[in-house]
Amino acid sequence: MAMRQTPLTCSGHTRPVVDLAFSGITPYGYFLISACKDGKPMLRQGDTGDWIGTFLGHKGAVWGATLNKEATKAATAAADFTAKVWDAVTGDEVLTLAHKHIVKSVNFTQDSNSLLTAGNDKVLRIYDLGKPEAEPQEIAGHTSAIKKALWCNNDQQILSAAEDKTIRLWDKNTKEAVKTLSFDASVSSMEYVPDGEILVITYGRTIAFYKAHSLELIKTVDAPASIHSASLHPDKDFFVAGGDDFKLYKYDYSTKEEMESYKGHFGPVHCVRFSPDGELYASGSEDGTLRLWQTAVGKTYGLWKCVLPEELSSENSEALYCPPAEIKA
Amino acid sequence: MKTPVSVLRLPRGPDPNSRGFDPNSPRFIALCPTTVSTSSSGSVDEEEQRLRSELRERFLRTLLLMTDKQVQFDMFEKVRVRATFGASDIDVLNFQVSDLETPLGVQKEALLRCHDMISCSFEL
Repeated sequence: MAMRQTPLTCSGHTRPVVDLAFSGITPYGYFLISACKDGKPMLRQGDTGDWIGTFLGHKGAVWGATLNKEATKAATAAADFTAKVWDAVTGDEVLTLAHKHIVKSVNFTQDSNSLLTAGNDKVLRIYDLGKPEAEPQEIAGHTSAIKKALWCNNDQQILSAAEDKTIRLWDKNTKEAVKTLSFDASVSSMEYVPDGEILVITYGRTIAFYKAHSLELIKTVDAPASIHSASLHPDKDFFVAGGDDFKLYKYDYSTKEEMESYKGHFGPVHCVRFSPDGELYASGSEDGTLRLWQTAVGKTYGLWKCVLPEELSSENSEALYCPPAEIKA
Repeated sequence: MKTPVSVLRLPRGPDPNSRGFDPNSPRFIALCPTTVSTSSSGSVDEEEQRLRSELRERFLRTLLLMTDKQVQFDMFEKVRVRATFGASDIDVLNFQVSDLETPLGVQKEALLRCHDMISCSFEL
């Protein structure tokens, strides 16, 4: 029996959600952090979307947010010219790292000991979290604001995407650019998939996949609308993308065919990411909400419950919330 | 006609009165040590903890002393206002004040955002 996707809406933010990130799988499940222009990044339980806490302290829009693998630390990048590191269990601010301009991106290494930051001052910075008062290592080279910077290849290299329409691969030790990719349009998003060493990039209407070591192109797929973000499923059988037309698209990675598209958001989709177990993906939008979408629609997982038609009319159905049949415009 | 997937409930939203991070959650209890460390650097931690407790207690007692007194608040954007202090919320996010004197007149009841404050002063 064909089921229709019921996205779960996570409300709470009052301005556009511009970035989101999942933690790894921890003994307490996995977690999700959202960056919002309201300056108040939030931590949520990853499989249900339940709010856990809000990180309070930034004095400007938060452009980037990330969690370490164990979800014990969080980092945020904001328009108040600071990046902050937080205790993701207590919600306390642990560190404030002053920058010279808007910070857009933050990323922990696998061991959570170093933090990479990047932003409008065009410089990549590496902070040693064991010695936070020490000056960060700096890597310069980009000629415009950096939108995203990620550790890759076992935290030995750094990938950065900037408004100068380039993506550069840097060696962390020599601080030299090992490779540069140039585009005709600004790259809107970048995701690094360590297992398989794949880089997912979006620009214009295109979702492109590259080998992270060599920056060799694997394939490109064109969507019906301008795409702001895409994410590859951990098993590399699907990828999802969202952008200007408010919809979420799901594609088959091998065949590049569009499998499904989902309406739901009331504004452009700014970010989309698969959960670490691949069972759901989360999207953040201009409409100020996060939505959770099932990868296998109809499966029992998190708050979604697989219900057979007979059960819907039986006594057991009181606990279930059945959304109305018509989709609201 | 496709049937929409059923959900058990909707995701829980933020609590308007607190910043969250429930200290009674299993994760918090498991990951946040409640005892002072006994390692070689323990004495330094203990001293710091003692000082922190002292400062916290002083701050809380100051809030108690401020109650029902006229307080001057110095805030960002060169804002200086006077009001009668009522109470703070649990996370010190907002101060409830009465008779807030503003350039637009006296506001009978108001909430001041603590994040916007630089300092506050009052006569004992």
